[in-house]
Amino acid sequence: MARVLVVDDAAFMRKMLGDVLSKAGHEVIGEGTNGNDAVERFQELRPDIMTLDITMPEKDGLTALREILTLEPAAKVVMCSALGQESKVLEAIKAGAKDFVVKPFQPDRVIDAIGKALA
Amino acid sequence: MTPEEALTRLGESTGDALLDALRTFCGDAVEHGVPVVVPQGEPPLAEIPVPAVIVNVSYVDGVTGGNIFAMTRHGVQRLAAAMMGLGADEAGDGDELSELELSAAGEAMNQMMAAAAGATSALLGDQIEIGPPETRFFESPDQTADAYELTPHVVSVPFTVLDEPCRLVLLVPNAFIVKMTRALSDLEAEAAAGGIRTGGGVPGASLRRVPVRVWAELGRSHMPVGRAVSLQPGAVVDLDAAPDDPVQLYVNGRRFGSGRLLLIDNEWAVRVDEVLPSTAPTTSTRGGID
Repeated sequence: MARVLVVDDAAFMRKMLGDVLSKAGHEVIGEGTNGNDAVERFQELRPDIMTLDITMPEKDGLTALREILTLEPAAKVVMCSALGQESKVLEAIKAGAKDFVVKPFQPDRVIDAIGKALA
Repeated sequence: MTPEEALTRLGESTGDALLDALRTFCGDAVEHGVPVVVPQGEPPLAEIPVPAVIVNVSYVDGVTGGNIFAMTRHGVQRLAAAMMGLGADEAGDGDELSELELSAAGEAMNQMMAAAAGATSALLGDQIEIGPPETRFFESPDQTADAYELTPHVVSVPFTVLDEPCRLVLLVPNAFIVKMTRALSDLEAEAAAGGIRTGGGVPGASLRRVPVRVWAELGRSHMPVGRAVSLQPGAVVDLDAAPDDPVQLYVNGRRFGSGRLLLIDNEWAVRVDEVLPSTAPTTSTRGGID
């Protein structure tokens, strides 16, 4: 089971993701609400894996992803995005994200993406 | 195509995209009414139900503009419950909304407008980016008067979500509607010149709901019929395409473009990269992958 950092500007999504991950036996070790949080919390907590929303205030998820991968090229990041943001998703995968989950998500899909990224 | 007609079409297409997104949470308990172009000078939020929770998700790149969705307090409580997989009878009913309920409203609008941005991007041929949602609560109509930057054009679309009245209000700058009017005029001109476009576009209103088969073709192979009828499970058939080649897209047997395969939520999807002009020669097929 993995130590997971969850970053999303919506408290609702952080709770939903946290519940799904906890039920699957993972440990949510921290949360973030924007791209700046994502980078800071990643450096502080060094999670096994993190979920990262794309559209967020202050610094978006794509920018944060690139900064995190510069700090730690082996970082495992699963992006979360709404339908209609396919171009951003492709950019994220090209930048080095391990996988992505489209919102509204199915719990099985989240667990599957986390499991594959950790494998 | 007049700017007013383009505004109405924008209201229809945005409303439809929001409806599809809302149905993933609420099933069929959502509908929208006819878009109304608000006369210039009239307050854009005059028709919203107050007290109201208002979520604004702006277009920030490609085009700009505000997209406001106004919900009643009970509407937010019911929508939040639906997003958590709960029934309407399990929704909160207090006078105060929790942080989680307000956040759910913002997240729903984020997902709805992402879908709408995708649909409008396809029409305009420009990638439209959305900003993060901003959620506010208004107790009385006069609080809404100066709450948002006014734009020259406003479209208002009534919604019903889980039996609660809601309203979508689009705040549309001039540049956006100029682009929209031009794109729709081009589509209409092409439709008039060549009938229903095979390269995408907007057919006449009476035809828009006609279902068509759309499929993507990975590649082809040719072989004698004798070999074809003797194929057994386990046989491998070479196709004439490399893994990185674009897939060909067909509508009812006529090729209309090409794209790239994507894997979204463990299901195949295609990102359309090229749409053939309506005058381009098209090939037909009866094969392919549905």
